[in-house]
Amino acid sequence: MPPIFDDNACSGCGLCDSICPADAIYLRSDDDREIPYLKYPDECWHCGSCRQDCPEGAISIQFPPDMLNI
Amino acid sequence: MEIVELSTDVLIIGGGLAGTNAAMAAAEKGAKVIITDKGNIDRSGDIGGGVDHFMAYLNEGQKWDTEEAFLGYVDKVGRGTGHLSIIESVYCAELPDAIDRMARIGNPLTQTDGSFYRTRSMGQPGTYWINFNGKRLKPRLGKAVRELGCTVLDKVMMVDLLTHEGAVVGGIGFHIRSGDFYVIQSKATVIATGNTNRLYENPRINPFNTWLCPFDTGDGQIMALNAGAALTNMEYMRMTLLPKGFAAPGFNALVGMGGRFVNGLGEYYMEKHHAMGNRAPRYDVVFHTLEEIRRGHGPIYIDCRHLNDEDLTHLKSSLGYDKDTLPDYFEQRGEDLRSRPVEITVSEGMQAGPTEVTGSGIKIDRHSASTIPGLFASGDACDHNRCVHGAVAGGYKAGKSAAVFASGMKHADSAPRSMTREQIDRFRAPLYLSSGYPYRQIEDAIRKIMAEHVGPMRTAHTLKTGMEKLEGIERHLDDMKADDLHELMRTYETRSILSVGKVMATTALFRTESRNKPYHHRLDFPDTDNTHWCGLVVVQKKGDKFSCSFEAVS
Repeated sequence: MPPIFDDNACSGCGLCDSICPADAIYLRSDDDREIPYLKYPDECWHCGSCRQDCPEGAISIQFPPDMLNI
Repeated sequence: MEIVELSTDVLIIGGGLAGTNAAMAAAEKGAKVIITDKGNIDRSGDIGGGVDHFMAYLNEGQKWDTEEAFLGYVDKVGRGTGHLSIIESVYCAELPDAIDRMARIGNPLTQTDGSFYRTRSMGQPGTYWINFNGKRLKPRLGKAVRELGCTVLDKVMMVDLLTHEGAVVGGIGFHIRSGDFYVIQSKATVIATGNTNRLYENPRINPFNTWLCPFDTGDGQIMALNAGAALTNMEYMRMTLLPKGFAAPGFNALVGMGGRFVNGLGEYYMEKHHAMGNRAPRYDVVFHTLEEIRRGHGPIYIDCRHLNDEDLTHLKSSLGYDKDTLPDYFEQRGEDLRSRPVEITVSEGMQAGPTEVTGSGIKIDRHSASTIPGLFASGDACDHNRCVHGAVAGGYKAGKSAAVFASGMKHADSAPRSMTREQIDRFRAPLYLSSGYPYRQIEDAIRKIMAEHVGPMRTAHTLKTGMEKLEGIERHLDDMKADDLHELMRTYETRSILSVGKVMATTALFRTESRNKPYHHRLDFPDTDNTHWCGLVVVQKKGDKFSCSFEAVS
């Protein structure tokens, strides 16, 4: 389900959380830092804003099987 | 939760393309501006992730490339759905500055060599579409708005307007993360909240997989209606053609470059059914595509294999401008425009303007003013702006008009309002329910009712049945439970969606003809009746009831 976060590349800046128009991306604690996760996957509009703006290039898009096969 | 009380000259509700242009205009006129958005104005609205088209005439010498010819086109495809005098004021008069403004904020409509890349589709007499790279248009607009000193309230959902003696004097809303409640007093208010896009069952399963922004849910139109403003063109159920599994826009680009619609039998059906072929008005393309599917001629495809290498290369490089992730989708699905036709289908329905040049929603005049004092509207939320060009030009017009209105008012003219904790708690009621229904359960039922009874095949009987069922589900709105503030936002969206559905059923029943089929197709009145119905259905709220009237377009 898009987007997919590369936790190792992520700097935890929170920009994706801030700009997501769906309010679907939130931050969670992971050891001593915060990383993003998709809290409301069904509500993603696949607009690609998070991937475009991620300063670390840590976000990729993978479409789910229903969208790719119907 | 804190209660935040603010005061401003101009309040703008909705920070998409129209709202950000309105904010720029009001601020440049010297007004103190607050702009609110459920998301973040840097990436919110229909074109948050990018856009690739802007409709314009440019006076470059061709006879179709003038204001007069453009208004002739509006008259021809609009077919009674807009007043040319208003479009002249909110679009044509604003167009030169709109094009300059795009360059000024760092996102010109031109290619890197300074030329305009122009294409033609949707019934246009010439190449009115400017194809451009707008992937970073919203971040640039957001930056321009912040640099002008506007107060930006990101992640704030407005839920109601404040009124005083029949005028709009502000709005109230909440922050969807902190829960802080905002009471904003304003001398003038601009609504710029877009269409209603989560209204019908979605052929791609997920109701958020929509052509236009699924977070545009008619909130502004319904706030305006409840405050006493009139709406028009609400009977139109807009649709388009989209890739089968992904509601990504791309129609303009694909058809503009010469893409051909082909059915499962290999027939290029639009070239048979319409004099303009694949470049026919959008509603005609959708109508004939629905007919092909009904006859068992599906699936439907768009064929670009015949395009030359230069056009195909341009198309493939620019498809991601309008929807950033569309190239990823084609790649992951194994589609290749060069080697085989791409399967497409008719989109979900939405409540939106009947054409690319006439809108629906809050009724505006030549100054973008609604029918009640203090309230202005722009973009897809109003009845005489539409699409990107309408939002950029019309948004700015609304912002200017609101600033002028505000400059003529004293603060004493708009009564200061404060709200009690009890009043605010009523807006938060879904958070306090120990049991109830999730918003999605109520919303799915609304979409089912709309699709089956208020869809593209309407009769008086289906519309009345739909209205009864919508009123049935309406009795359960107060049973919606929200587990958090995000869900509280969605419950308010569900309320707006239901209200828009009722308005649509009511106005569709009132208009006893068909117009721009299939957007308003009455099976019991299948013909277009220009003698009696060339104009707008105007709807207002009288108590708990809707009141419809007809306004002719000459």
